[in-house]
Amino acid sequence: MDSIDKIHWAFTDRILEFFKETGHVMRFTGHFFSLGLKPRFEVKELLTQCYLIGYKSLPLIGLTGFIMGLVLTMQLRPSLISYGVESELPVMVGIAIVREIGPVITALIFAGKIGSSIGAELGSMKVTEQIDAMEVSGTNPFKYLVATRVLASTLMLPILTILSDAISLFGAYIGVNIRSVTSIRLFYTQVFDSLSFGDLTPAVIKTFFFGFAVGIVGCYKGYNSSKGTRGVGSSANTAVVLASVLIFIIDLLAVQLTDVLGLN
Amino acid sequence: MANQGENNIKLGVFTLAGLLVLIFSFYMIGKNHNLFGGGFEIKVRFSNLNGLIAGNNVLYSGIQAGTVKDMQLINDTSIEVILLIDPKVGSFIHKDAIATVGTEGLMGNKVINIQPGTGKSLAISKGDYLQTRKAVSTDAMLQTLDKTNNNIALISEELKGTVQRINESKILELLNDKELSPVLRSSLKNIHEATANARDMAVNLDIIVKGIRKGRGAAGLLLTDTAFAGNLNNTMQKVSSVSDQANLATIRLNTLIEAVSQDLSSKDGSLYVLLRDSAVAGQLKQTMKNIQDGTAGFNQNMEALKHNFLLRGYFKSLEKKKKEGQ
Amino acid sequence: METPIRSSTTGKITGKPEAVIEIEHLCKRFGENVVLNDFNLKVYENENLVVLGKSGSGKSVLIKCIIGLLKPDSGKIIVLGKNIPELDHEDLDKIRTKIGFLFQGNALYDSMTVRENLEFSLRRQWIRLPQTEVDAMVKEALDNVGLPHTVDMMPAELSGGMLKRVALARTLILKPEIILYDEPTTGLDPVTAREIDNLILSLQKKYHTASIIISHDMNCVKNTADRVVLLLDGKCYMEGTYQELEDATDENIKQFFE
Repeated sequence: MDSIDKIHWAFTDRILEFFKETGHVMRFTGHFFSLGLKPRFEVKELLTQCYLIGYKSLPLIGLTGFIMGLVLTMQLRPSLISYGVESELPVMVGIAIVREIGPVITALIFAGKIGSSIGAELGSMKVTEQIDAMEVSGTNPFKYLVATRVLASTLMLPILTILSDAISLFGAYIGVNIRSVTSIRLFYTQVFDSLSFGDLTPAVIKTFFFGFAVGIVGCYKGYNSSKGTRGVGSSANTAVVLASVLIFIIDLLAVQLTDVLGLN
Repeated sequence: MANQGENNIKLGVFTLAGLLVLIFSFYMIGKNHNLFGGGFEIKVRFSNLNGLIAGNNVLYSGIQAGTVKDMQLINDTSIEVILLIDPKVGSFIHKDAIATVGTEGLMGNKVINIQPGTGKSLAISKGDYLQTRKAVSTDAMLQTLDKTNNNIALISEELKGTVQRINESKILELLNDKELSPVLRSSLKNIHEATANARDMAVNLDIIVKGIRKGRGAAGLLLTDTAFAGNLNNTMQKVSSVSDQANLATIRLNTLIEAVSQDLSSKDGSLYVLLRDSAVAGQLKQTMKNIQDGTAGFNQNMEALKHNFLLRGYFKSLEKKKKEGQ
Repeated sequence: METPIRSSTTGKITGKPEAVIEIEHLCKRFGENVVLNDFNLKVYENENLVVLGKSGSGKSVLIKCIIGLLKPDSGKIIVLGKNIPELDHEDLDKIRTKIGFLFQGNALYDSMTVRENLEFSLRRQWIRLPQTEVDAMVKEALDNVGLPHTVDMMPAELSGGMLKRVALARTLILKPEIILYDEPTTGLDPVTAREIDNLILSLQKKYHTASIIISHDMNCVKNTADRVVLLLDGKCYMEGTYQELEDATDENIKQFFE
């Protein structure tokens, strides 16, 4: 009986903890909108963060995008051949990359790289009282650290996704050319012919939300890091996990929404 | 901080590159959907769209000519489709061009195919209605083919009888005109030959139609069964040759009939004078017309058969083989 | 730089030294744990006050309440005439420019060079300063702590004592009227610790600041304290000079000297 009670309480504790955490994240997000977007922007820091978060992530995201396009093409080819529609390969790959795989994979890699680095950076700043020092010196650390990073990741992920899509399609082009020959002109004509605004627009819009989720979760976890190096590690870790889950949830909502709006 | 400026440049290039790719993509998509650079609207009414949706392509003789912009139900049997036509292609489309709903590839998107008309009428302009033709179904086509066939048989029978009668009536021999008589005779002989041809053709066609009927049930069978493909091969060859024959016969018949009927209708015409028998003349005239209609209808059916999607592949492969043979 | 402009915030024109910090009935608890319980304290200008206490006795909490990093549950903290817990963000930032805070772990921004660390608080101010003035202030601050050559180094390249000096330079760059030191000598070897003590004293003399020094290092207390307050169980247990403290017979006081 005792053990059952214990389990019961542990379970309810977990649930309560979850809602508490959700509430905290919501408050943090609200804080971002109420405080982080008010004037006296930290433009310089925002640019620095955009550079670090966006530009510096390009090689990694470009590489994964390229491999993804190549591999996807080679994996799809046998199925398409069995239906006798091998010529539709660029169309299939193009739609898959632009609509879903490009945004989601890019966001996940982004969460892994940026979410953890924001979580760890802010976590260690918190632990070593650098955030307090900032506050004491008359700087609002929320604005200086959180708002800039959240904004930077919100703005940079869409750009990274677009570039990654382009690189992926190039990878796909190479993938097509491993077994057969297609001119790059025919390839991209086929890809763009099959695409519509309903494919591209929601895919681009949702990446803003992905970027926002990665930024806000990374900042939240880092900003509320517990003391000690372990706290820093765990905030980096949970930032990535939570951001990845959120990306999938947002993706799910996005697909429902575009469906309801009839954009596909 | 010394390289802050440099970093900002890199960031700027990075951001611009992303935006450029985005704008380029939007432009390419927009171009494909005729959203930029004008274009004009024309209208088509169909009774069945077979799943056509806005944004589908419009092809003119197989090249991209525009997109489907909108569609609305006009009444219980017709749907008005608004097409956005690229002016560059639009100037080549004439008012008598025919629009049909087709499919891109075997299971691709729906498209609107515009087939060129005779080219005699004016080019289309904004707001014009295009003519439509229901996409021919094999079934309906075979039915008309069957009917045409019967008609041809009947007509040729009739014609034969008439000619025979004219021949036997000895009126011709009564003629004093030594020059006219042989001419008329040879004309009649020609008609005779033509009708014989037509009869042969009708027999052939009958066999063909029956052959297609057998395999008609399963489109897949029609396309994949190699045994049947062999049959089909033969059949189609026959259809081809018959249709060629028919063409020839039609042309000859047409000129003949035109000449004869002109002769018949003008009071000065030698035949009219010769026959005097207005009843026979009327009958002959009707017969001639029937033949004309019948051959024209048959030709149309043959043409449609060639364009039918099930058989199109066959014709294509035939062409390919020809090429390979060369 | 001899006599920095002093705001006569309390408005008193008496011969007695003015109190720059007045703490009345300060209470702060974390959950069940009562850290400060009806704590009262006055700090006068030009004075080095040492708050002595065991680890976890609430010394750090006290100075974090003073600078507004923590919000007290009740009580007044009047700094330069303003009650800290009642200030809004903007006024708090304004008053904070007059208070320096030396963190226990230095809290130097490790992604920035020493120069950027020092400039950071300057750039945050409402009045934008010209670059030459900023450079002069950075140089002066680093000269004060004897480390002008570190200006373009990263914090990671510096030793513990140097980090503490740079942190002190950063604290001093805005010429605050009050400086709060959170265990300035903890984690340093005795020789470096004495250097820091002397630095605190000399800078205090140079800029005439009032200071609260939190420590449990008796050498530091001995060197720097004008007055000592012993914090015990969230209350001011004893107040006096270092000598008075050393002479006391109370068990609770004696244990600090063992």
